[in-house]
Amino acid sequence: MMDLLALLPDLKALGIETATLLMFASLLLLLLTGMPLAFVTLLVALIFALGWFGPMAIPLIVSRIFSFVNSFVFVSVPMFVLMAAILDRSGIAKDLFDAMRLIGGRLRGGVAIQTLLVAVVLAAMSGIIGGEVVLLGVIALPQMLRLGYDKRLAIGVCCAGGALGTMIPPSIVLIIYGLTASVSIGDLFTASFLPGLMLASMYAVYILVRAYTNPSVAPICEPEDIPSAEKLRLLKGLVLPILVVIFVLGSIYGGIASVTEASALGVLGVALSTMLRREFSLGLLMGAARQTLSTVAMIVWIGIGASALVGVFNLMGGIRFVQALITGISDNPTIVILFMMLILFILGMFLDWVGVALLTMPIFVPIVTSLGYDPIWFGVLFAMNMQVSFLSPPFGPAAFYLKSVAPPDISLGEIFRSLLPFILLQMLAVGLLILFPGLAWH
Amino acid sequence: MTDASDEFGASETSERDEREQKPIPEAGFLGRWVARTGNVFAVAIILSALALIYEVIMRYGFNAPTSWAHETVIFLTAITFVYGGLYGVAMNKHIRVVLIYDMLSPKLRRIFNIVISLACAIASMLFSWAGWLVVQRAIFTPAGDFRLETSGSAWDPPTPGLLKLALLGILIVMSVQFLILTFNYLRRK
Amino acid sequence: ADYALRFQSSDPSGNPNFELQQKWAKQVGTLTNGRVTIEMLPVGSIVKHTETQDAVASGIIDGHVTDTSYFAGKDAAFSLIANPVGAYGSPSEMLNFIEYGGGKQLMNDLLNPYGLQFIGATTPGLEAFISKVPLDGVDDLKGLKMRAPEGLVQNVFQAAGAAPVNLPGSEVFTSLDKGVIDAADYTVFSTNHKQGMHDVAGHPVYPGFHSMPLVEVSMNKGTWDKMSPDLQAILEMSVRDFARDMTNQLAMRDVVAVAEANANPKITVHNWSAAERAKFRAIAKSQWAKVAAKSANAQRVYDVLSTYLVEQGLLKE
Ligand code: NA
Ligand code: NA
Repeated sequence: MMDLLALLPDLKALGIETATLLMFASLLLLLLTGMPLAFVTLLVALIFALGWFGPMAIPLIVSRIFSFVNSFVFVSVPMFVLMAAILDRSGIAKDLFDAMRLIGGRLRGGVAIQTLLVAVVLAAMSGIIGGEVVLLGVIALPQMLRLGYDKRLAIGVCCAGGALGTMIPPSIVLIIYGLTASVSIGDLFTASFLPGLMLASMYAVYILVRAYTNPSVAPICEPEDIPSAEKLRLLKGLVLPILVVIFVLGSIYGGIASVTEASALGVLGVALSTMLRREFSLGLLMGAARQTLSTVAMIVWIGIGASALVGVFNLMGGIRFVQALITGISDNPTIVILFMMLILFILGMFLDWVGVALLTMPIFVPIVTSLGYDPIWFGVLFAMNMQVSFLSPPFGPAAFYLKSVAPPDISLGEIFRSLLPFILLQMLAVGLLILFPGLAWH
Repeated sequence: MTDASDEFGASETSERDEREQKPIPEAGFLGRWVARTGNVFAVAIILSALALIYEVIMRYGFNAPTSWAHETVIFLTAITFVYGGLYGVAMNKHIRVVLIYDMLSPKLRRIFNIVISLACAIASMLFSWAGWLVVQRAIFTPAGDFRLETSGSAWDPPTPGLLKLALLGILIVMSVQFLILTFNYLRRK
Repeated sequence: ADYALRFQSSDPSGNPNFELQQKWAKQVGTLTNGRVTIEMLPVGSIVKHTETQDAVASGIIDGHVTDTSYFAGKDAAFSLIANPVGAYGSPSEMLNFIEYGGGKQLMNDLLNPYGLQFIGATTPGLEAFISKVPLDGVDDLKGLKMRAPEGLVQNVFQAAGAAPVNLPGSEVFTSLDKGVIDAADYTVFSTNHKQGMHDVAGHPVYPGFHSMPLVEVSMNKGTWDKMSPDLQAILEMSVRDFARDMTNQLAMRDVVAVAEANANPKITVHNWSAAERAKFRAIAKSQWAKVAAKSANAQRVYDVLSTYLVEQGLLKE
């Protein structure tokens, strides 16, 4: 085995610039072979660890696998997925969307906009995005498709809406930025509020424009009058979900539970709801937990692979590489900021946000501060930029999360195509935030 | 069969569970074992939720936070995440980009399956070897005595040591699973 | 460079600690005329902060600048030497122990078997305490829901009647903000203040009474042993100077930040009386013995440390 390893080329001789390009190219190439994504990133990490440092660097990858899973932050992922799986197995989701359709009334795109509203509420409950995208993918996507919504619009709402979790406080992206840049997390949360709502509103406007320019993408289903008894029955579908939301949000904002603990309270709320509806059974719970196991595995292993890759890239001198990219680019502060955005966009295509933060923040934050910009504003700008990274191919975590629960006939290609308009909106939001720094008010 | 836009009723979800929570045939006997053992970790997820709820009740209701809930939950979810990776291999549930893969002829696709499984098997074996190096530092003192690395908290459970051991074990089983997949793709034309 | 080394810090890149560490790393390059260069990497960039000891030992990175408490799970001795809660009243008391009180030898006796060489120690200083509720003495700690990290700190607060909650650093802010916890062990006053902790918890206790972590600067022993004695001496002396840099500059920042906090009507800085501090120290010391019993190394730390403290009149026998 070790003799075979000696056959690997000495990648170090290539230099970091060529090696970085080669790394991104091999990621892309291996992805296209149909190899499981998590193993694509792990394999690339392995090849570069071996080719740059030799076999003694492989324990680094194992250490990163261990560290990635052994953390409290990700505990909320299985909780959100379990919530989704239980909801999926009960009639709650269907009743909720029937009620939402009633409320949406004759507004075209009404259900999509309400789904977006649900996404914003979920974003206020959670600081990460994996669980949210899955929850919307399990609950909202099939319901929107059932109601005759355009597939791509529905997919976009689920992914882009689910990604709002890190734009609207609480947000792990902002917390990590705050710790990294040593700025007030409270200020970051305040400052991100308006830009987060702005992004959500842009999505809503887009839905309305699409729905009214092309009515077939968002049909209004029953023009005939519904008897008021039936209306009342339908509206009852709202009660339990709203109670669960109050329960979870109340526990966070009332100081009863930490954000991660609140996700477990959400599971409790949803389980109690199915009991009240007499739908609960042990079989249902176990089925939901097994679905959670396989869904969570996909989400977490994508993160594991990305984390391993970033560890190896950092060891290769990734931070110095980013430093070299930005040094002496221009004396014009605006051009420096725009160039930083470009670097973030490009890195966001291939790496997950933790990696991007690790690579760029040590370089960017001191520069931004020395140019006289507000580091809080830059933090919000960074979080906005990471919204793009969740959606942008080839490594778009939100797309992968949705794929893991979407009906099998929806391909990844289809998902990425659906996300294109939303990515453009996110980039527009980044632009607006640069043009009007006052949006990040604090 | 229901189509994708159809609604899922309760009985349909349980049918879907039957269908989806099955290992692929190429995973062989090991795949079936991995699938069955998955139940243990499904229960671990439910236990994690219960432990967190208990912690909230004790802290908010009785001003008596536990010393064990958070660390237990981290351990349970961590080991579930790791096992999930293996589970996903046996079920063929990991996300793939099948843009080109789907266009391949059955013959070519078989070759792709063989090469991919073999590459993953080799990677997993190398990780297992590296895992052993990591584990040695977590289960032996420098003097060579057996001692599981603990978390260092007031409760101080040996969870880091146990988790590293479990990671090693699961990586080894994963290597074997990929080898079985390679073998079965080779055998079945 | 003869030795191009990579060190990982346990602090994030924008943290004042990290900036000082980076300055030290650069200084080493100048002092050795480029024979030794050190690249200082922020926390988590290569491995997680709890895994750096293994990473240095196996040669993935060459060294680390890290709070020794993170290795409490390897040997209880690390827990006791890293943060003997209540032992020191000022950074110099700790640094003197390391330099002249047998601490350095002790650290190397602990670290060498793991494959690490201890170069020297620094500390951010006495950590301030963050609280939402007024705390003026030990009695106020009763039932206090507070976040404490792994190690001795947690045991001590438990013994003092508080209810320690295990929370990761990333959840401290939101949990304090919403009142899930009332108080938290975090870091020094100036950094707490900069990160907005006092905006959500307006009753900090300063000067701190509970914790002064030992931040070790250590590196791979194999690489160290290969170095010529002049390089080794330069490294040791540079760390001694670095410790002075760090403790003094952070203390100066604290003074500025405290003045800022005092000027803010929403923040009340509390200072414990000597009597209350002594009461807390007594509780802390009762916990040392418990940790010492956990391993032979821990017992040795207990013995050497006690001898030093008694000799210096910091501890009555
Ligand atoms: Na959020
Ligand atoms: Na992306």
